[in-house]
Amino acid sequence: MKNPQIPAEPVETLSARGGLMKTRMLLPGETGRFASTLSWLILLLAVMPILTMIVMSFSGASNLDFPPASYSLKWYQAAWHTFVSPDSSDVLSLGKALGTSLWVSCLTMILATLVAVPASYALTRCEFRGKAVALQLMSLPLVFPMVVLGLALLLVFDSLPFHMDVSRLVIAHVILALPFVVKNCTAAMVSIGSEVEEAAQMLGASPTRAIVDVVVPLMKSGILAGMLLAFIVSFNEFTVTYFLYNIDVMTVPIWMYSRTVSSLDPTVFSFAVLIVLIDFALIWALEKLVGEGGVSF
Amino acid sequence: MTGLILQNVEKYYGSACAVTDVNLHLPAGKLVCFLGPSGCGKTTLLRMIAGLESLSSGEILLDGEDVSHTPAHERNFGMVFQSLALFPHMTVGENIAYPLKLRGVSKAGQQARVVELLEMIQLQQMLDRPVAKLSGGQRQRVAIARAIAAHPKLLLLDEPLSALDAKLRESMQVEIRQLQQRLNITTILVTHDQREAMTMADIVVVLGEHRVQQVGTPIEIYRNPANEFVADFIGSGNIFAAVALGNGQVGLPGGGTLEVPGSGPLVAGAAIKMLVRPEDVQLSPHQAPEGNRLAGTVTFIRDIGATIETTVECGGVSLISLTTPSQGFGLGVGHPVSITLPAEACRVLGA
Repeated sequence: MKNPQIPAEPVETLSARGGLMKTRMLLPGETGRFASTLSWLILLLAVMPILTMIVMSFSGASNLDFPPASYSLKWYQAAWHTFVSPDSSDVLSLGKALGTSLWVSCLTMILATLVAVPASYALTRCEFRGKAVALQLMSLPLVFPMVVLGLALLLVFDSLPFHMDVSRLVIAHVILALPFVVKNCTAAMVSIGSEVEEAAQMLGASPTRAIVDVVVPLMKSGILAGMLLAFIVSFNEFTVTYFLYNIDVMTVPIWMYSRTVSSLDPTVFSFAVLIVLIDFALIWALEKLVGEGGVSF
Repeated sequence: MTGLILQNVEKYYGSACAVTDVNLHLPAGKLVCFLGPSGCGKTTLLRMIAGLESLSSGEILLDGEDVSHTPAHERNFGMVFQSLALFPHMTVGENIAYPLKLRGVSKAGQQARVVELLEMIQLQQMLDRPVAKLSGGQRQRVAIARAIAAHPKLLLLDEPLSALDAKLRESMQVEIRQLQQRLNITTILVTHDQREAMTMADIVVVLGEHRVQQVGTPIEIYRNPANEFVADFIGSGNIFAAVALGNGQVGLPGGGTLEVPGSGPLVAGAAIKMLVRPEDVQLSPHQAPEGNRLAGTVTFIRDIGATIETTVECGGVSLISLTTPSQGFGLGVGHPVSITLPAEACRVLGA
């Protein structure tokens, strides 16, 4: 690597000679100006809502005009105030909603993982009738209209002879999170050859012991990624939860929505910024944990 | 009876036959090679012995005890897989200690055995390395150490050397052989490399077309192949069709007769296959045919440096002769030559 400018020279000479090459030839892995502009534009569109939200949370005005006329921290103060001493105008305290959200998300994460690990093992290792159907059913919640799913679940839960609060949210969230967890666990499972499992058995491990000692540790990164995704999916879920919540059992997204309905001020943006920060921290943790294995969303 | 006995072992996948009609007695303390081309069922047979595949029918007896239905983890057989199958989430020491841990050996006991094995494979300083940090040959040794850690009754090796380069493979062959003899452990090695089988095995089992073709010492298999399959698979050979003349003589397709003592019992007129190894075919300057000395014409010469392969057309048969440069006498393509097939080197092959 003597001089990085050298490749530019022949191009100039060529174009000076006969104008044979107007633009520099693109090497594999390089992008043209148009492609890179387009990618930046799309990236900008993707972060726009988050940027708007952050800007709005620092608004000094009492309405939702964008961009705000002035900037202040007063909505963060208001948010803090709502959190520590909720007034009667609030439908429910944010603290309680946050507690419910965390509880539901944790249960969802644990249950979805407990279902997904054996499921992904069966879907990769075993051959059985209806395997293709099972695979399709697994990803059905991804394409099913959320509103219809919420309504359907409401009808099912209401027809049951007993009353469910948190558990019905957990069941709904497990259904929604399962495809993500199964997909991550299956991806991890596929890369584990059956020979290591057989090797463990030859060394004296029972089939179950071989799975616990060898397969599960090797799936670890996929399982962790799946768990965190399940947590995030559950923590942010709105549509289906909207059909299933009641006044005692409310999650943070529902609380924020009802808050916007009752008083339309930028407080929700301050909350949202905090939630996005939590999500970012979780995703960052995810990538650290998984490392080069990669996460499939 | 000590050792491993296979009785009428068969394996079918649906209607597809993997291996059938296997009757073997593998004596204790010997190294046995299952040798055959790919797809001959040798790995399936090994996996059935290991307990990783069920038998469609038949029995496997170890020291007189039927183990056909014992699960793999209760057999106490050591196995080295083609991919080695080391546990990537464990260190070298943990890999080797794993079978001991499963057997409830104390921490101190595990440690002592691991150190002893690492000394044996000369990797003492690798105890706490992750297996991913080892070279191919080192992984190979760790896989073997892990397989023998719990003193298995049988050591099974499924083409464990196929991933190594030629030079390393040769030295590992010697190491495995020495280790096997030192531990006096009954070992089965699956391979498609006949050189590996010839140099390592006490007994070679040639498998082909889903059944056992021949069982014998490497020299027996080479000198007296039981049939055309074995003759063709082991070493290079001149195999050609001929007709028995009934009086200890054999007629070649293009005329000319050979004295073949082995053809004595055959009925005159029977179509047979003959085998002559290239190194047994002697060339000499052209002279009148006499006995097993026939006249021929050189059609092709391949000089490989250490040896010269001369193809001679003789009596309607193309024969390859393997000579050293010092035996040569300036032959060229098209030259007439005399070719001698010593009577004791001509073998009649079974069907």
